[in-house]
This record gives sequence, C-alpha cells and structure tokens, in this order.
Amino acid sequence: MAYKVFLGCVIPNRLPFIEAASLRAFEKLAVPTEELEGASCCPDPVGAAAFDHKGWLALGARNLALAEEVDADLYSLCNGCVETLKAVRAELVDEHEREEINELLSQVNKKYSGKVQVKHFVEVLYEDVGLAKIREAVMNPLTGLKVACHYGCHYMRPSSIIQGEDPLNPTRLDELVEALGATPVDYEEKMLCCGNATAKTNEETSLAILNTKMASIQDAGADCIVVICPACFLQFDNYQRALKKEFHREYKIPVFFYTELLALALGISGEDFGVKYHRVKAKSLLANLTA
Amino acid sequence: MQTLTIDFEFRNQIIDTGSHAKTLSACYQCGTCTGGCPAAKVTNGAFNPRKLIINSLLGLKEKLVQTLSPNVWLCTTCQKCVESCPQGVELTEIFNLLKNMSVDAKTAPVAFVSQGQTIFETGFTIPIQKAIQGRRERNLGLELRKEAPVDEVQTLLKAVGWDAKFPTEEPAETGGEDK
Repeated sequence: MAYKVFLGCVIPNRLPFIEAASLRAFEKLAVPTEELEGASCCPDPVGAAAFDHKGWLALGARNLALAEEVDADLYSLCNGCVETLKAVRAELVDEHEREEINELLSQVNKKYSGKVQVKHFVEVLYEDVGLAKIREAVMNPLTGLKVACHYGCHYMRPSSIIQGEDPLNPTRLDELVEALGATPVDYEEKMLCCGNATAKTNEETSLAILNTKMASIQDAGADCIVVICPACFLQFDNYQRALKKEFHREYKIPVFFYTELLALALGISGEDFGVKYHRVKAKSLLANLTA
Repeated sequence: MQTLTIDFEFRNQIIDTGSHAKTLSACYQCGTCTGGCPAAKVTNGAFNPRKLIINSLLGLKEKLVQTLSPNVWLCTTCQKCVESCPQGVELTEIFNLLKNMSVDAKTAPVAFVSQGQTIFETGFTIPIQKAIQGRRERNLGLELRKEAPVDEVQTLLKAVGWDAKFPTEEPAETGGEDK
C-alpha cells in the first residue's frame, strides 16, 4: 500500500480527535498514515464547486499533482475530499481539459498526469485490509452495541465517478461495524442525507432533514450513530440538540466516526483519542460497553 | 400580474458547457428526482428538482439565477436524483452550473461567498484555529497543523477570476464557517 493520507481541513482543524483515533487505529492495522504534504482544501465539492467550477478543478488538480510528485496514491477520511478528488480525476481524463488545467498549474510549477488513484478510508479497510484481518485484530468486541450506520451521500454518489459500491444500497460500513462485534440496525431513512449541505442556505431546511433522519434512528432503537464523513459528524453531533427546540423531540444519541469505534475495539482507550470532545456525550454508553 | 422573461439562449448556454450538462435535454418531467429529494421532502415541494430542470429548459434564467424561485441553493448535492433519473440527466452538475451563475449575479447566499473568500485567504474551508492547535498538541499528541501554501492557491484562483466574485463594497465576514 503506497498511500498518503489526505486529511483535508474539517478533521484536523475542527475535529482533531477523529484524526487521532483514525491514525492510531490504522497504525495497528499497518495502513500507512503519512500525510500528503503541501495540500490545500480539496476543495469542498459542495461549497467550492458551487462557487466556481474552474477554481475548484484547479485546486483539486494541484492536490492530485502533489501526490504524483511523491509517487503515492491517496486515501481520505472525508467523503467530501474523496468526492472532489475522484471527480477532478474523472473530469481530467479528458485530454483537452487536462491540457487546459496543466497550463494553469504550470504557473505554480505543478503538472498533473492522471495516474494517482483516490480511495475512501472505508475502501482501504474493506479492500486492502479486509474484514478477516480486522476481526482478528479486535481486542474489545463491541458486543451488544446497536449501531445506526449513516454512509453520507458523497461516499457512494455519483456512482459514475465514485465507482464504489451500490449507490442506493451500500453495505460495507455495516459489515465493518459487524466485524467489531457490534450490531448494525436497519432504519427507514438510512439513505436520507444528513442535511448539512443546506445549512448555509437555510437552517430550517437543514434541521428538518436532520430531524426526519434522527426520528427514524431513534425509532429503530439504535444506541449510537456511526458516520464516515466529518460534515455528517458535525451535523449529527452539533445540531441534534437544536431539534428539541424546533421539533420538541429529544435524542441525545451519541455519534461516532467509524474509526473511533475501530480504535476502541482495537484496545485504544477513548481518553487517548479524545472522545470527550463530542457534544453528545458518549461516556455512559462506553461505560456500559466495557462493564 | 408577474411578467416572466424568457432567455432563449439559456438552455444552450447550459448545454454547451459540456457532457454532463448536455443531459438537460433528455428530461421528460417524470418527477422521479423529486420523489427521492430530501429538500423536497421537508419543504413540501417548494424546493423541487423537476421544476429547476423545466425552468432551465424554458429559459427562465431570471427565476433561477436572480430571484431564486425555486432556490437552487437548497439542493443538498446528495446526488440521489442523479442515480434514479431514468433519462440519465445529471441534475447536480446542472444545479452547480446554476449556482456558479448565481455567484456571478451576486445572488448567492452569503455563507457560500464567505467560504470562497476563506479558501482564497487561507487555502482552507476550515482554517487553522489557535484553540484547536492547542488541543492537538496538549491533549491529543498530534503535530501542529502547517499553513496551506496560500501563494500557490491565490495564483491559481486569481487566474480563473475567483477573487473577482467577492463583494466589492463591504467585504463579507470571513473566517471559519460554522458548518
């Protein structure tokens, strides 16, 4: 595995405990954790692409060019970064477009040729490490923990660009959760977006989407929510409290990044990676788990 | 009574931008996109991807770009519509084009414009923050984050006219987005 990690900006600059949990867990599984140096924002496939397509493409191509300079493939912890880097890559398969972007990149002495591969960390765990090796490495099985898996839209869509698993019925996160000894629970709104991307336009819409999702998760009897995208993490962890005021329904359902559960199962303590920084506190849930 | 202005070139303006947007012409208005849309679900249809597409086909640029009725910025970019469209219309790509036009027309929500400014100024959407740096170093045993190569970022973004889209009178608030 000749990978570098593309950390992006939400995790390191807002949710560093996710970085700590991820890198420590990956080290135990021999997944490379060295970061790609010199990267900028991926940039964000929602906001930056909406602001200006060409600029989004140029910065994305520059990031890919950095990986080519050190002869590495990339994986990321963020659905957004993965989507942008895969989408830029797909768009620049077109020779004419690639030439145009390389003309721009020459102003900063970079060149993009198109050879770098991009993966989501779920793809790395599932394809390169494998469920069997993860199962073997588990020291503290998360037995009895009922988990609502939320994949996040950009992990699997648009399928023409992501080229991963079924874009409307994914299963890999559920399988990865199961490998840790926990129990994935099915819920009605599993494929619904978390709503984060509309918050910058209209918070009411964003919260209404979140509430629909949360109600379905609570109705299914889940103990916690597991995500694989920092934007989804922020939406669930920061905003479920706001739903009480808006929709008169209380949730208090802890949210984990998958790699936090992975770290716990591999024997890394929550104190070591900063699980205390969650807004919805997970302490009593974790205490029950280890009891 | 409201008068609608039809821009007869608008449809071609979208189609000519490339292979994704060309799919606009294939829409037969079945509404499958709207059936699966999270924003349509919670706005009782006020946001409706099918309507954005028919307005694009009819050349109602003013509604789409100036008055934002319906408001393309409510699209969550979840791409469910793209997966389920029986005609292969790439709705999210088309909506991104409309959003780019809205930015040019200075009608984009302020938070998107300030994100554009933050990326230009810091190279990141979520810039490095002192409190988080402290938490990284003291509490989590992580290295401090390094600044992004802002000079390279600005060279590229200036070359595409990114900074020309910022508000000219008073600069909007910049800094980390809350989301």
